[in-house]
Amino acid sequence: MMLLEPISTLLATTSNPIKRAWDHLWFYGNTDASNFAAGSDAVFFFIFWVSAFFFVLLMVLMVIFAIKYRRVPGKSAPVSASHNTPLEIFWSVVPTILLAVMFFWGLIEYLPTRVAPGDAEEIQVVASQWRWDWVYDNGASPLNTEVIANMESPIFALPVNKPVKFVLSSLDVIHSFYIPGFRIKRDVMPNMYTQLWAEPTQVSHSWNEDTEEWQVVPEMARGDFDGFYLACTEYCGDQHSQMWGRVMVLSQGDYERWKTQQADTSGIPLVQLGGDLHKAKGCVACHSVDGSRGTGPTWQGIWGKTHTYVGGGSGIVDENYIRESILEPAANIVEGYPNQMVSYQGQLTDRELYAIVKYIQSLSDNAEDVAAAEAESEAEMAAKQEAAESEGGADGDAAGGGE
Amino acid sequence: MSHHDVSYLEPKGSFWQTVWSWVYTIDHKKIGVMYLTAVLLAFLLGGLFALAVRAELFTPYQTIVTETGETITKGEALRFIADRWVENGSTLTVNNVYNRFFTAHGAIMVFLFIIPAVPAALGNFFLPIMLGAKDVAFPRLNLMSWYIYVFGSLLAVYSLVNGGVETGWTFYTPYSTTTNWGSTTAMLLSAFILGFSSIFTGMNFIATVHKLRVPGMGWFDMPLFVWAIYATAIIQVLATPVLGITLLMLVFERTFQIGIFDPALGGDPVLYQHFFWFYSHPAVYIMILPGFGIASELLAVHCHKKIFGYRAIAFSSIAIAAISFIVWAHHMFTAQSVALNAIFSALTFLVAIPTAIKVFNWIATMYKASISINTPMMYAMYFLFCFTIGGLTGPPLATLASDIHLHDTYFVVAHFHYVMMGGTVLAFIGGLHHWWPKMFGKMYWEPGAQLAGILVFVGFNVTFFTQFFLGTRGMPRRYATYIEELTTLHQISTIGSWILALGLFLHLFVFIHSLAAGKPAPKNPWGGLTFEWETESPPVEHNFPHEPVIVHGPYDYESVVPPHCDPAEYPVARPPAGGANGTNGTNGTNGTHHA
Repeated sequence: MMLLEPISTLLATTSNPIKRAWDHLWFYGNTDASNFAAGSDAVFFFIFWVSAFFFVLLMVLMVIFAIKYRRVPGKSAPVSASHNTPLEIFWSVVPTILLAVMFFWGLIEYLPTRVAPGDAEEIQVVASQWRWDWVYDNGASPLNTEVIANMESPIFALPVNKPVKFVLSSLDVIHSFYIPGFRIKRDVMPNMYTQLWAEPTQVSHSWNEDTEEWQVVPEMARGDFDGFYLACTEYCGDQHSQMWGRVMVLSQGDYERWKTQQADTSGIPLVQLGGDLHKAKGCVACHSVDGSRGTGPTWQGIWGKTHTYVGGGSGIVDENYIRESILEPAANIVEGYPNQMVSYQGQLTDRELYAIVKYIQSLSDNAEDVAAAEAESEAEMAAKQEAAESEGGADGDAAGGGE
Repeated sequence: MSHHDVSYLEPKGSFWQTVWSWVYTIDHKKIGVMYLTAVLLAFLLGGLFALAVRAELFTPYQTIVTETGETITKGEALRFIADRWVENGSTLTVNNVYNRFFTAHGAIMVFLFIIPAVPAALGNFFLPIMLGAKDVAFPRLNLMSWYIYVFGSLLAVYSLVNGGVETGWTFYTPYSTTTNWGSTTAMLLSAFILGFSSIFTGMNFIATVHKLRVPGMGWFDMPLFVWAIYATAIIQVLATPVLGITLLMLVFERTFQIGIFDPALGGDPVLYQHFFWFYSHPAVYIMILPGFGIASELLAVHCHKKIFGYRAIAFSSIAIAAISFIVWAHHMFTAQSVALNAIFSALTFLVAIPTAIKVFNWIATMYKASISINTPMMYAMYFLFCFTIGGLTGPPLATLASDIHLHDTYFVVAHFHYVMMGGTVLAFIGGLHHWWPKMFGKMYWEPGAQLAGILVFVGFNVTFFTQFFLGTRGMPRRYATYIEELTTLHQISTIGSWILALGLFLHLFVFIHSLAAGKPAPKNPWGGLTFEWETESPPVEHNFPHEPVIVHGPYDYESVVPPHCDPAEYPVARPPAGGANGTNGTNGTNGTHHA
């Protein structure tokens, strides 16, 4: 491996354009983004260089032999050995030793990934078809989204240089939690908690005071997709390929600000909150708001409609039907649609539940209903503000955040 | 006319009598040819699904607002199919069509094509001939396994047409028990039935190898292709029942609500994965070991040289078959405990050792050889190139620290296509050219086949090498769409798939041309020494005009002039002590007649 020394030295210099092109080719530039990335990549490249050495050696020999020993009609191959015990022992033992090194190195780098340090901040991750939901220790559950793979996907945040432990569970089928930039992955099971942890080491976003938005830091801006993302890597059905999330790594201060922003939704008007929840809670994966067909019925114009249910019976879409559909989705399925949705029981507050009702109402063509919905929403806002003022406390920048 | 001098392909009386003679045949050669036709059809069908999948991945979905304020979605290549596929009164989504297509591609390629391809088609035809036998040990069982295969395949195609299956070929629970249950059940039963076909073929071959070797042929006088098929047959017989049981449990769970795998019924979904891979990992070796066997034959015959390390190659096949049973849980490194992961990571590395030994032996065979550069030999080298990449990309997946990143990404997709397609399929195409003159008595158009081979080789590598980088960048597998930054790599891969398809269609054309207008094949066009080169091209009904006699080893090129070959063209480097001209003379019928 002495011969490879100059190459690895060359590739180790971060400012080096060759090193940057190399990192871009393999990892889209994301190296050293977590405490595990360097170890995983080092094992990978050890195997890569060993493999490259043997591959080139074997292929060069093959091509040389194919040219040098081409058949000449009327001439036979010279007599040569059909086996050679020392050679055969040599080429059995050398790969065995190299493979043993790979195994032990891989095991050594792997073991720490499964034991989170005691002071790690815990984040509960709930996966379902087809969305990710993270619940932070202050009860916050992100509301902001951005389009990834043509789907509104939630934006999550993590603190830099602090260990974070993810406790994973699924509401339906098996999913898999994968942050490629951090080199971490773990299956999300419906019958038990699984967990993994990481310590992010590079800040990807920061709070811009002027625009009041979260922005990519310059070092991370590399192209269309900057920073880190979360993907599902266990096939889970229709929208498996659109089950993404954005992962922002923030400085400690920014992280606290972000968590506070996300935790307090009381300042958001009901209809707007309903719209945010539609995207952030993954409703959008199945229910469109533009009339197009999805796994579930579109919400556009659904308010006040009469539906026939699977297995007989019918009913009008009103507050109670929507409430029932969110908390007990299987109770009355609209004919022509699969029984696909999981219950959101316990995942939404009463206000959030009602916000979704109001949002669906606002999507109706029925002008009266729309007006009523808006009036009610405003009235609630006014009442809220009054209450807040009478308490003498302001909600700060609770309405801030977002893109 | 007696059985001794009529080609097996000779028509029997009227057209319908001839058809009947095929439908009802117990001739292993006819059954092999019928299998060959069927697996090639399956390969075509599975390939078309692959092209559709690659077409969809040419661009990611993108919703844009046009200047006129209209919202449109771009990048949905399969939209025209989704809009026309009506089910339960509404059209399908593009995601849905994609998921059905990648499942169809996987299930067809695994169950209908690659598992039966080499053993049931080429193995059926050549294993008895290579042993000097008239047929397999149980000819009627052989015919039965063919009809079971036909029935299972039709059921699989039915399940795709009727409703479609969108579980992936692995049928992971609980997803598989909660979606499109009718057609998924049909597909599970199809895999179950195809398993019996595989088991029967394996039993037949084991019995044939043990009992029907020509008198005097010891185990180490067998061609390496026979060793490979024998090792494969052991896995087929021992592992396939586990798949059958597992799939039945899945059907029972759903039908009778017995909780085995589904957590909603108190089951454990990871248990399913253990059962499934306990079969399906050995099955990977059912797929690749026959490819190894073909590679050994191609290299020995077209290098005109004794294979290097015959015993090492033969024993490594058996070692791989044995080790294949104790590595299954490396498919679940992201799902199970640290202790299990450590054990299965270590066990997995054991497979790499006999595999590496084989590759070294093959390359060493080329040293000081007399190498004919023709289509089969070029395919042997394409095989060595691609399979070596496939093999070397195994260790990053067996190593825990790197697998955690690469698991279920395109790195895995690329790795197994390099092994399955770059290994087995390339060997299969090479073997098909190698044995084509013997099977059908016609030569093929060599320049056309070589050009097709180059297109296949280039197309294959463009398609799949790209996918290693998609994988390390974090592209998960089984995705209908993706983030835009990965577009370029996906487009290169898709263009590669078109080159690959072009090459494969050119091969098909060359084969059809050969059947229609090929020159008659000599008995021994390549100068091979194994028994199939002693008989006619195509072989007579009972394989040999007279029972063959074993007078030399399968690769004794140094001392034996190949049967039916001119000693001036194939001189021997080391004439045997007693005779001037090799023991087997210039035709294959000079042995003692035992009959």
